[in-house]
Amino acid sequence: MFKVFSSIRKEFLLLVSDKVGLALMFVMPLLLVFIITIIQDSAYKIVNENEIPMLVVNHDEGSGGEKLLNLLSNSRLFKIDTFNSLPESALKKELLARGKMIALFIPPNFTSGLESNTGEISHMMMRDMGLETDSSDVNTEKMPVLSFYHDPVLQENYSASVRGVVDSYLGMIEKTMMIERIYADMDIASKSITLSEKMASNRVKINQIVATNSNSVAVPNSTQHNVPAWTIFAMFFMVVSLGSNIVKERINGSFLRLKTMPTSFMLVMLSKMAVYVVVAILQVALTFSIGVWILPKIGLPELTIPTNFPAFATVVLISSLAAVSYALLIGSWAKTQEQANGFGAISIIIFGAIGGILVPAFVMPEYMQFASKFSPLHWCLEGFYILFLKGGSWHELRSVVLFLGVFILICQLCTYIKLRIEKII
Amino acid sequence: MYKGPSIQIENITQRYKSAQEDSLSNVTLQINEGDVYGLLGPNGAGKTTLISILCGIIPPSYGNVNYYIGGKKIDEQERRSLLGFVPQEYAFYQELTPKQNLDYFGAMYNLSRAELSVRIDELLEELGLTKVANKEVSTFSGGMKRRVNLAIGLIHNPVILFLDEPTVGVDVQSKNAIIKYLEEINRTGTTIVYTSHHMSEAEEFCNRIALIDHGKVVAEGGMSELLEKNSASSLQDLFIKLTGEEYRD
Repeated sequence: MFKVFSSIRKEFLLLVSDKVGLALMFVMPLLLVFIITIIQDSAYKIVNENEIPMLVVNHDEGSGGEKLLNLLSNSRLFKIDTFNSLPESALKKELLARGKMIALFIPPNFTSGLESNTGEISHMMMRDMGLETDSSDVNTEKMPVLSFYHDPVLQENYSASVRGVVDSYLGMIEKTMMIERIYADMDIASKSITLSEKMASNRVKINQIVATNSNSVAVPNSTQHNVPAWTIFAMFFMVVSLGSNIVKERINGSFLRLKTMPTSFMLVMLSKMAVYVVVAILQVALTFSIGVWILPKIGLPELTIPTNFPAFATVVLISSLAAVSYALLIGSWAKTQEQANGFGAISIIIFGAIGGILVPAFVMPEYMQFASKFSPLHWCLEGFYILFLKGGSWHELRSVVLFLGVFILICQLCTYIKLRIEKII
Repeated sequence: MYKGPSIQIENITQRYKSAQEDSLSNVTLQINEGDVYGLLGPNGAGKTTLISILCGIIPPSYGNVNYYIGGKKIDEQERRSLLGFVPQEYAFYQELTPKQNLDYFGAMYNLSRAELSVRIDELLEELGLTKVANKEVSTFSGGMKRRVNLAIGLIHNPVILFLDEPTVGVDVQSKNAIIKYLEEINRTGTTIVYTSHHMSEAEEFCNRIALIDHGKVVAEGGMSELLEKNSASSLQDLFIKLTGEEYRD
């Protein structure tokens, strides 16, 4: 027992003597969580929160523009900022100056154009039905054109969905105007209100259901992405500390010296793994605590801890083991500490990038989403996503455990082979 | 008092996978209990390979090595407990203190906490490291590091001690301290097997030597016997006579 204690104590002392490694493992994830969460928060808010900031310039001389504005405001999808005195020519500049993503310009002929169009249709209808109409008030005015401005960074699918919302409200206005016009032409205008109300309430509704295995309906936010993502990144960054530690021991002959002693090399490796798994668990505890208690205090979303604790513990443990095993692999194959540090750090950045740490995998092109499946960081993050966003069932975690299990086995096997080649074990 | 073999080396041959020649070829030696046995030879002669085989770091391609304590053959596990090894490299943790290093390696030799506590103080005192016992080794001079390296090999009071160039790159004071301490433990019964390039040091320190060149033993025996037999005035003279004056890389 004293032997085991001494071995673990030695690893702990080596770890605490490596100040740079410690900083990389504990300070770096905290900084990254703070910085990236703050940066990404507004982008996530655009996607997740109902109020999209929109600048509206209403030059309409009738009441249609105001109706459209009311519909947009009442939808609770947009946070409307109106600036009616602004000429259209200055709208682009104003949009960028105000930091809005979207602007809508309603032209002066918006109502008159719609009225002209409904009048024309109503006249045609009455004529086709063989009813007498007065065609003297039918003006043929062009259909109005609304201008939709957006920031160039706004993704095409996102701006298309906003245009779709505006379109559907325009349709409602047009329909109402049409009914009113037809009823007026038929001299039963007072009854048009009942019909338009009926048409509005009889629309097909869409029931939206979040697919989770629990009753939780957690929606991804910047905290839920960044806290686990940068924790995983930092876990794998232990390659700099543990990897170079192993290279040093290989090169300076400590491993060979241990071979002459009545001790098992497994004890050495298991002590290293134990200490660094504890480090990884501490990293999780630290960054998750920040997510729960500190981030909400600076106006960022709070991290909700998964309720399935055994599943949470499994994801943390298997992610830690994957990170430790990768560090062992790099440490055993690198010829120098510089190689271990350089290759280790760069490989983690690449794994992180393709694995969805920097940018979530779902926004990547299809081939990159496929590539992300080869990154262990992707599977670790996927494990946390399942916990946070899908309630974390064992069934869903199966593929995560399987991939990371295989990854751990491969790393350990390659480490064993290299140490055998060097006659260390 | 038993003065029979401590280590019997029988026809050891070693060839590395990619090598064209044997690193060691049919080496047969006997090292007796209480000997200070010098394995000498130019660079690349095969000394470190032989010492690595003797310590169990690498297995020989052919041949056997047997160990005896008081005439009784010992097995692999016993050998590991009774053997001490001081490699040429600083094979320890420079980020730790001498005390922490000794504590760790002592535990790996299965020493108890109580045994270690006494032994560590004793060794630090003997090797002049008490004052720096709690300082990080990375701040030490070469001589101090050599003494830490030696202390680790001695932590479990080995019966057989292997030393690979224990005094290389150290000042005269450290060298004297190391040799003095090794002579002392040899007097108390420890068999020492030692490699060095310092011929005068080896001449003073060893009672028997084996001169190895190109993986073969070119001379073996007691110091005075060898000098007399080869009409050499000193070990250095003998060394040059038997291995030539060519550069060895």
